[in-house]
Amino acid sequence: MIKRLTLKIARIETETKNVKTFHFSHKLEAEPGQFIMVTDYENGEKPFSLSICELDHFAITVKRIGDFTNQLFQKKCGDYLSIRGPYGSSFFVSKKKVLLVGGGCAVPTLYFLSKRLLSNNADVTLINGAKTKDELIFVDKFHSLFIQEYFVTDDGSFGEKATSVQKAEEILKTDNFSFVYASGPELMLFALKDKLKKINYEFLLERYMKCAIGVCGSCTIDPLGIRMCVEGPVLNREKIEKLTEFGHYHRDASGKRIGF
Amino acid sequence: MHKRLKIKFLGSEIDSPIVLPAGVMDMSFSSLQDAIINGAGIVTSKSLTVQPRAGHEGPVVAEFEGGMLNAMGLCNPGIDDGLKEIEQFKTNFAAPVIVSIFATNVHDFMQLAKKVDHSSAEFLELNLSCPNVFDEFGIPLAASPQQVFEIIKAVKEMTSKPVIAKLSPNVHAIIPIAESAQKAGADALCLINTVGPGMLIDIRMRKPILKNKFGGMSGPCIKPIALKLIYEVHSKIGLPIIGTGGVQSGEDVIEMWMAGASLVGVGTAVHYNGMNIFTKIKQEIIQFLEDQNYHLLMDVPRLPSQVREK
Ligand SMILES: Cc1cc2nc3c(=O)[nH]c(=O)nc-3n(C[C@H](O)[C@H](O)[C@H](O)COP(=O)(O)OP(=O)(O)OC[C@H]3O[C@@H](n4cnc5c(N)ncnc54)[C@H](O)[C@@H]3O)c2cc1C
Ligand SMILES: Cc1cc2nc3c(=O)[nH]c(=O)nc-3n(C[C@H](O)[C@H](O)[C@H](O)COP(=O)(O)O)c2cc1C
Repeated sequence: MIKRLTLKIARIETETKNVKTFHFSHKLEAEPGQFIMVTDYENGEKPFSLSICELDHFAITVKRIGDFTNQLFQKKCGDYLSIRGPYGSSFFVSKKKVLLVGGGCAVPTLYFLSKRLLSNNADVTLINGAKTKDELIFVDKFHSLFIQEYFVTDDGSFGEKATSVQKAEEILKTDNFSFVYASGPELMLFALKDKLKKINYEFLLERYMKCAIGVCGSCTIDPLGIRMCVEGPVLNREKIEKLTEFGHYHRDASGKRIGF
Repeated sequence: MHKRLKIKFLGSEIDSPIVLPAGVMDMSFSSLQDAIINGAGIVTSKSLTVQPRAGHEGPVVAEFEGGMLNAMGLCNPGIDDGLKEIEQFKTNFAAPVIVSIFATNVHDFMQLAKKVDHSSAEFLELNLSCPNVFDEFGIPLAASPQQVFEIIKAVKEMTSKPVIAKLSPNVHAIIPIAESAQKAGADALCLINTVGPGMLIDIRMRKPILKNKFGGMSGPCIKPIALKLIYEVHSKIGLPIIGTGGVQSGEDVIEMWMAGASLVGVGTAVHYNGMNIFTKIKQEIIQFLEDQNYHLLMDVPRLPSQVREK
């Protein structure tokens, strides 16, 4: 199925010095955890998770880290971008008491998930963690959802001084959750996995994506050989436990293995 | 149970006629394994080069009604790391492997072939036909019978493994090229690589959709071209053929077989259905054999050959 759209940027929101949210006025039929490929046809094409997806609009939240994202940060309202998707697997939307664990710029996808969980009457608790205060994102947006929320920073500059994983471990000891969702840097997820001995979970994992439609093989993950752009980026516990690659290495644009 | 689909190919007996072709889903040992688990008989590596290549910037693919364009730009981890993936594949799986190699000159082809010769792979495929690196390397080698001859001759001296030449459909006469491949000692041919290349435009942004502007066409729209070339080459040249181009179903495999293919590559269709498309295709072939009262796929007669010209 051809899923390409050429859309004008409807609004740009500055989240932090290095993070912006790009809004588009278009109805996109998508599920939380799914991503889109974005290009201006000049600077490459890159994957971004949907952070907001409402009846008549959607958004992505982008951290500036390299060439592509730098160029994206130069765009203005009304500029066109070419978008394809949504692609990939999505989070299971529970009805029960669930814990969401987010780290850094991978948190916004959990906002889209929270909204879906809430409309499904789930009981949502969120841990939003970052290195430091300036890097915490979506604080106000999550606040407006009236969920149970914990903010943590590595340096204690906002909320509690702890990592997302430490906080999760603490809360899981005292409270009963039926499911954990997490999105963040791979080593955070890898550390979190060890704390989730009994509970079911889903993680969003990032791998280098090129075609995003499951033909090129760039984003396959060992030893299952599944395509992270189609069978991922959201994987469940059963699959994650089988991965030998998770937490150890990923492949770059050429397919060469790079250690974490 | 699918022994009915076994095929003899270059002295090996292969359980399934389905080949995972070069460049599709074959970056890692684990995706090669997944292809076998899902019913492929042989898997091919990415086209490996002397040095790693990151490939072209995106967009590298563009879909359209009849298939897709791709300009991956030969991304691969380089021959050394690429062969490591093959060795890892071989630690758990016995299925035959084709290593595809790409170079722009005889010397590099020889160097690559030597490395493949020392690997556990069964077959060596020469990608003489990538249409997506024109800016970098110019016209594909497969456009020149002379170059095809020189490369294959040189490579044959470096390896005892059977050599498959992957040819381009984008030439005005394929027979002289296939003939030179045969004269130089090629053991089999793979037909076809992607067609065109073609182009698509985003009319709102007034830009080509592919960053590389042009990309090789694959998928259902190229099947008739593949069939025609396979039929023509099979009629005139005795070499076994891996038929590739637009195959999506068991009936497509039968068509390729009738045209003259011994094995059949299934690439772009993996995008539509994932690797379990191979399982579906195998079931459909069996269904055809049942309906038409053939026991083995190998019992299905080919089309009568084209009468020799001249
Ligand atoms: C499923 C998925 C969802 C993502 N969601 C978001 C998001 O919501 N917000 C956000 O800011 N970022 C997200 N990313 C990461 C984003 O794609 C990269 O930040 C971006 O590609 C960087 O490009 P660059 O040119 O600016 O930086 P570069 O300097 O090119 O790259 C910096 C790093 O980004 C990663 N990266 C680069 N290209 C790719 C690629 N094609 N595929 C995957 N990773 C790549 C690599 O780890 C690389 O080391 C997501 C990635 C994936 C796979
Ligand atoms: C994404 C993609 C990458 C490809 N990469 C290569 C490659 O590296 N080497 C090669 O010989 N052919 C490559 N091809 C061509 C395929 O092997 C095959 O010949 C062609 O796509 C036609 O078959 P199909 O229609 O079943 O895909 C590639 C095709 C696609 C779609």
